Amino acid sequence: MTEETTQESVPRLPTRLERYRIPLGLLVLVLALRPVVSSDLLLGYNAIASKMLIMMLFVAGFNLLFGYTGLLSFGHAMFLGFGLYIPAIFVSNGPGLLPAGGGVTFLFGVALAVAGVAAYGYLLGRLIVGMGEIYFALLTLAFSQAIYFIVLRDPAGLTGGSNGLTQGTLPAFVEQTRGEIAIEAFGQSLDWYWAVALVFLVGMLALWQIVRSPFGRSLVAVSENEQLARAMGVNTTRYKIWSVTFSGIFSALAGVLLMIQSSGAAIENLSVFTSGDTVLMAVLGGVNYFFGPVVGAFSWLFVEDFLTGFELWQFPLSELTLVTVDLSDILVYWQFLLGALFVVVVLTAPEEGIWGYLSSVAEWLRTKLTEVIG
Amino acid sequence: MSAILDARTQAQRLLSESSPAAKLGGLAGVLLLGNAAVQEPGLFIDQAIGGLVYGMILVMISLGLALVLGLMGVVNFAHGALFMLGGYFTYAAMASYGIPFWAALLIAPVGVGVVGIVIEVVVLRRLYGKEPIIGLLATFGLTLMIEEAARFVWGASAVQPAKPAFLTGGTDLGVTQVGTYRLFTVAVATVSVAGVYYLITRTDFGLSVRAGVQDGEMTEFVGVNLPLRFTAMFFLGSAIAGLGGALRVVEFGIDPGAAEEFVLLAFVVVVIGGVGSIFGSVVAGLLVGWAQFLIPVVLSALAVITGVSAINVQGISDLIPFLVMIAVLLIRPRGLFGEEGLLE
Repeated sequence: MTEETTQESVPRLPTRLERYRIPLGLLVLVLALRPVVSSDLLLGYNAIASKMLIMMLFVAGFNLLFGYTGLLSFGHAMFLGFGLYIPAIFVSNGPGLLPAGGGVTFLFGVALAVAGVAAYGYLLGRLIVGMGEIYFALLTLAFSQAIYFIVLRDPAGLTGGSNGLTQGTLPAFVEQTRGEIAIEAFGQSLDWYWAVALVFLVGMLALWQIVRSPFGRSLVAVSENEQLARAMGVNTTRYKIWSVTFSGIFSALAGVLLMIQSSGAAIENLSVFTSGDTVLMAVLGGVNYFFGPVVGAFSWLFVEDFLTGFELWQFPLSELTLVTVDLSDILVYWQFLLGALFVVVVLTAPEEGIWGYLSSVAEWLRTKLTEVIG
Repeated sequence: MSAILDARTQAQRLLSESSPAAKLGGLAGVLLLGNAAVQEPGLFIDQAIGGLVYGMILVMISLGLALVLGLMGVVNFAHGALFMLGGYFTYAAMASYGIPFWAALLIAPVGVGVVGIVIEVVVLRRLYGKEPIIGLLATFGLTLMIEEAARFVWGASAVQPAKPAFLTGGTDLGVTQVGTYRLFTVAVATVSVAGVYYLITRTDFGLSVRAGVQDGEMTEFVGVNLPLRFTAMFFLGSAIAGLGGALRVVEFGIDPGAAEEFVLLAFVVVVIGGVGSIFGSVVAGLLVGWAQFLIPVVLSALAVITGVSAINVQGISDLIPFLVMIAVLLIRPRGLFGEEGLLE
C-alpha cells in the first residue's frame, strides 16, 4: 500500500512542476533578475532591471499577437503610447474634479488608457485583420505613424509635441529621490522594482492564462492553419480582433509602467523604431515560446546597456582615449551585426530564436546525459 | 500612345466600379481644388509643382517596391534603404570624389542596383515562395544593416552635395517662379518611370518575367532563365529607387532615417495603388504627393470661403499619406487598381 502511494506520488511532483513551470519560471526570473544584472560583473546598477521587466511585458504582449495569432504588428509602439500618454496627460493636467498629481487621477487615467486602447484595438482589428497578414503589418505601421504625427503636433497643448511630457506626470504616491523610485501608499514604502515585478507577474500570469485557455488554443489554431480552423467552426476574424485588443491592453499596461519608470512620456517611444525594436526582440528571443519575448527583451537591453556602459564605467581614465575609439567602433559593428544575426535567424528558423536554440541544446544535453547514465 | 490607352481603360474601370457617393466625393474634391486655385493661383501652382516633384520621387521608389512585390511576392522592406543609398552614393561621388553631377546621376543608380543584386542573390532568393511575412522580417534586418553601415560611413546627420550651377536658377511659369532643379527632377523621373513601365508591360523581357510569376516551372520549361531575369528585375527596381535618391539628395539632402521614412511612404503608395498594379503605383504616388502639398492649400482656401478658421488645420501634411491610405482602403480594400488574390 505504502509502496503504491510512493510510486504514484514520485512521478507526480515533476508533472506538477512541469505544469506550473511558467509561473515558477516567472517567479524565479523576478527574484533573480535584479541581483544578477546589478552584480558588478555584469551591469553594476539596478535601474535597468525594472526597465527589463517592463519591456518583457511589452514584448510578451506583442507576441500574443505575432507568435500566437500569427499577425505581425509593425506598429506596436502606438499601444505602448496609450499607456504612456493618457495617464501622463491626466496627472499633469488634472481635468475637472480630479486634482493634478493625485493618485485617483492617475488611476482614472490608467483606466481610461486601458479602456481606450481596448476600444482602439478592437476597432483597428475590425478594420484591418481581414486584409491578409502583410496588409496587417503595413497598416499597423501606418496607423502607428499617424498617431506619432498627431502626438508630435501637440494637439491642444496636451502631448507636449517633440519634448514629450516631462513635468508633473508622476502621481503623488510615487516618490523620487536621487533617481530611485519608490511607491508610498497606506503608510508603506515599496521599492519600484517590486512594484513593477508585481504588475509584471500579474500581467504575465494573465497572459499565460489567456494562452493556455481555449481562447489561446484557438489563436494558435488560427495562426497554424486558418482554413482548417475556419472549417472547424472557429470564427477566425473574431479571434484575431480579440487578439489585437488583448495585445494592446498588455502593451498599454507596460506603457503605464514605462511612464513612471522614465518619469514622463517621451515621443521616441511612439516612433517606428520602437515598433521595429519590438519585432526584433520577439524574433531574436523566439516567437514560438512563452519565454521567447522575455529572453529577447532581456538580451536586447542587456547587450545594449552592456556595450554602451562598457567604455563609461569599466575602464580606467588613463586608458580612455585609446580604448574609447576601439569600443565605439565595435559598437557600430555590433548594431550592424545585430541586423545580420536577425537576418540569419529569420532565414534559418524564424520562429525559434534564442529560446528555441537554448531549449534544443538543453534537450540534446538531456538525451546525452540519459545515454551516459542509463 | 499605348500607355495612354492603357491608362484610359484603367481609369474607365475605376470609374465604372466606383459608387455614386465616391463620384460625388470626387466632384467635391475637384470643386475644392478649383476654389483653392482661384483664390491663390501662385501658391497653388507652387504647391502643385512641389507635390509633383515629391510624387514623382515616391513613384520612383514605389515602382521598384511594386515590381518586387507584385512579380516576386517579396515585401522588400529594404527598398527604402536602397533609395537612401542612392542619395549617399551621389553625395559620395560628388563631394568626396569630385565626379560631376551628370556622371553621379548615372553611377549612383548603377551602384545601388549592384547592391540590389547582392541582396537578391544572397537573401531574397531564399525567400521566393515562402510566406511574405518572412521576407518582410528578413529585409527589415537588411534595412538595419544598411542604415547602420551608412551611419558608420557618412555619420548620423544629413549630408547634401552642392547643386550643379546650371540647375540652380528659377524658371518663370507666368504666375510663379519654380526652381529649375524641380522641373529637371520631374523630367528625369517621368522618363525613367515611363521607360520601366514600357519595359514591364510592352517588351518580351517584361512578358517573360510576368509569365514566370504566373507559372515559374512552365516558363523555365520553354527556355527562360528565370533566376537571371528576376535578378535583372531586382536590379532595375533598385536602380530606379537609387535614381530617386540621387535626385532628392541634391535638393533636400539625406540622412539614415530616410530609409524607414520612405519605405513607409512607398508602402502607403503601393497599398493605395493596389498591390500588383504598376499603373496603380504611378497614380497613387502622384496622388499622395499632390494630396500632401495641396490639401493644406485647399483647407486654408476653404477656411477663407466659409469663415471657419478651424478648418485650416496646421501641420497636417505628414499625416495626409496615412489618412489617404485609410480612406482608400475603407472604400476599396484592394486599393485603387489592385488585383484579386495577391497577398490575401
